[in-house]
Amino acid sequence: MIVGEQKSIAEIREIIAPYRKLLILGCGTCVKTCFAGGEDEVAVLASALRLALKKEGKEIAVEEFTVERQCEDAFIQEAAAHISPGTAVLSLACGAGVQAIARRFAKTPVLPGVNTTFIGVLDKQGLFTEECLGCGDCKLAIFGGICPVTRCAKKLLNGPCGGSQKGKCEVSPDLDCAWQQIIERLKILGQLGNLRVYVPPKNWKSSHAGGPRKLVREDHII
Amino acid sequence: MESPFKPEITVFHCINAFPDVEGLPLGQGENFSIKAFKLPCTGMVKDVYLLRAFEAGADAVLVFACLQGQCRYVEGNLRAAKRVKFVQKLLDEIELDGRRLALFNIAAGDAAAAAEILHKALPELVKLGPNPAV
Repeated sequence: MIVGEQKSIAEIREIIAPYRKLLILGCGTCVKTCFAGGEDEVAVLASALRLALKKEGKEIAVEEFTVERQCEDAFIQEAAAHISPGTAVLSLACGAGVQAIARRFAKTPVLPGVNTTFIGVLDKQGLFTEECLGCGDCKLAIFGGICPVTRCAKKLLNGPCGGSQKGKCEVSPDLDCAWQQIIERLKILGQLGNLRVYVPPKNWKSSHAGGPRKLVREDHII
Repeated sequence: MESPFKPEITVFHCINAFPDVEGLPLGQGENFSIKAFKLPCTGMVKDVYLLRAFEAGADAVLVFACLQGQCRYVEGNLRAAKRVKFVQKLLDEIELDGRRLALFNIAAGDAAAAAEILHKALPELVKLGPNPAV
C-alpha cells in the first residue's frame, strides 16, 4: 500500500487559510489503512479544525466526505455533489489522489492534507515499513523475496557489505540488515546458490530517475 | 453579580466501571453539570467522539475506564488511554488545552472512587474556564 502521514494541524491551517468553504475529502483505500486519510481521520480533522476556527471566531464551512479511492475517476465522481463553486478540497489521499482530484475538478483548488511517504506494508498494528521503491525492474526472485534496493541502506545487489552487527545495519541499529535476511531466507528456501548470480549495476532508467512513468495496457483500451 | 462558572462535563464511561452517573454519590447542589455516555467498554471511545463532545459545548471531557489488566475485553481501556492521549495532543495543538480531557481508571463498581475523582478534578477544570470554541 501507499503509506502516508497526515500533515500537522498548523500546516493544514496555513494551507486552508485563504478559503471560506472547505471539503475534507478522504480516501478509503491505502491512507485509510495507515490511519492518515480514511473516514475516521477525516472526521477527526474536520472536528479539530471546526474547534480551532470557532475558537478564533473564524467562519469557515467544513464538510466531510470519503470516497473509496481518489486515484480512480469512477470513485472521484461521487465527490462532485459535495463540491460547489468556492469550495476548496483538502484531500487526505496520497499525492496521486490529490492530483487525480485536481484533474477532475479543474476549477477547484485542491490542497494536500497528507505527506505521501512510501510504498510499504503493515508490519504490525501501528507500524508500517517501506518495502518497495517502485524501481520498475523487480529482482525479488533471486533475493528470496526481500528487496535490497529498498531495504539495504546501501542498496547493495551482490551480497552484504560486512558492516552489520547482530543482524542490524551499521547505518542504524534500528534497521535490520536486509542481506542477513536475504541469506537466511535463501537458506530456508534451499536457494543459497542465488548468491552466485551476478546482478549487474542497476539501470535506474525504469525508475523515477527516468522521469514520470506511464503504463499502457493496450488490451484494456477500447 | 456574575454567577460562578459551572463547567459542563461530558463523561464517557464503561458500564463495568459504574453502571450510570445517576448512581454516583455526587451530593446535592453540584457546581458542575454532567452529560454522560455509557459504553460497554471504553475501547469504543473513538477520537472523534471526544472532539465532538467539545464541539457540542463540553468544557471538559472525562473518560472512566476499568483498571489496567481488568478490562473485560482485555485491551479496551488501553486503547481508550491511547486515544485520549492522541486527542489531548490535538487539543494542545489547536490551543484548546489538552487538560480539558482526561482518563481515569477505576475498579469495577467503585462509584465512590468515580465521584471522588470528579470532585478532585473540578478545581482545575474550573481554573481552565469555559470551552473557548463554544
